[in-house]
Amino acid sequence: MGARGVSAGYKRVSGDAVEYEVFARKSRVDPLHHVGSVVAPDDDLAMAYARATYDEERWCEMAIVRKEHVIELWQPGEP
Amino acid sequence: MSISDLVLSLADNKQLLGLRYAEWATRAPSLEADIAAAAMGLDDLGHSRVLYGCLEPLGHDPRGPERESDPASLRGLAYFDEPWDSWGQFVAANAVLDTAFTLMIEACVNGSVEVLQQRLRKMLLEERYHFLHGRSWLRSGIDAAPLERAWREAIEFFGPPDGEVAALHREGRLAMGPAELHEHLESRLESKAPSVKVDWKSWDSARRRSHAGAIDQRTFAMLRGLEEKRYAPPGAAAKA
Repeated sequence: MGARGVSAGYKRVSGDAVEYEVFARKSRVDPLHHVGSVVAPDDDLAMAYARATYDEERWCEMAIVRKEHVIELWQPGEP
Repeated sequence: MSISDLVLSLADNKQLLGLRYAEWATRAPSLEADIAAAAMGLDDLGHSRVLYGCLEPLGHDPRGPERESDPASLRGLAYFDEPWDSWGQFVAANAVLDTAFTLMIEACVNGSVEVLQQRLRKMLLEERYHFLHGRSWLRSGIDAAPLERAWREAIEFFGPPDGEVAALHREGRLAMGPAELHEHLESRLESKAPSVKVDWKSWDSARRRSHAGAIDQRTFAMLRGLEEKRYAPPGAAAKA
């Protein structure tokens, strides 16, 4: 049995996995900054995963946003 | 039965829930779920320490010497007696039992016992993420058997309609009694409890369960620090 054999039957079928960007700050005077990302099938689980994964600091604020909702103005290499 | 007995039951259950969560930190369906299992395990082990720390200020510590030798003297639910062998068991515990414990903590925080009002409030913030995790996985569907078992044990944990939790509620020390706890659990989980008949005459009021039995020996040894000693180099005990 593989390492995930006991949970292999559980697939998240409620939707395709979505990538979320995670932002946080340590104090009110700091700007929110990007601390990482998580992949989850819905907003609830993304919140739980973001909090569990990026809980190494005493953040005063944490927020997540679906990556697909970020509007890019330009990318590296573009004028 | 006093409020200290209820707090000890919560503490033992949180400790065992934390241990069972931690056992899944490398076996969950995804890396994110592994990390969440580890984080929730740490949270619940921390909560159990806070709860044990409330016993002295409450004026009555029900822990006796039998807890060093008799696994059945611990007050965990039967759901935690053995390690879980399926992810469905994890999710049912996370969604139903963890939320049931949170509701009991809410009943303490909003009740009239000052030390519980002050010390348990922070747990509710952390538990929000346990709830989001459990409810999301529950919505995606799990086997019926662990879910029914978790519901039954949650109802047993709340206690009989005319038991001591109901009495503590009438006295104002708890903000909710068994009926309110049950109703809130259904509401939070957006589902009705399965039809459960509990024989309250054979229910153990200290352990808040009907099922006989106890945690496995390995877990009991781990709680007492004996498992760590097994891996210590020879002579370590003498040096200490």
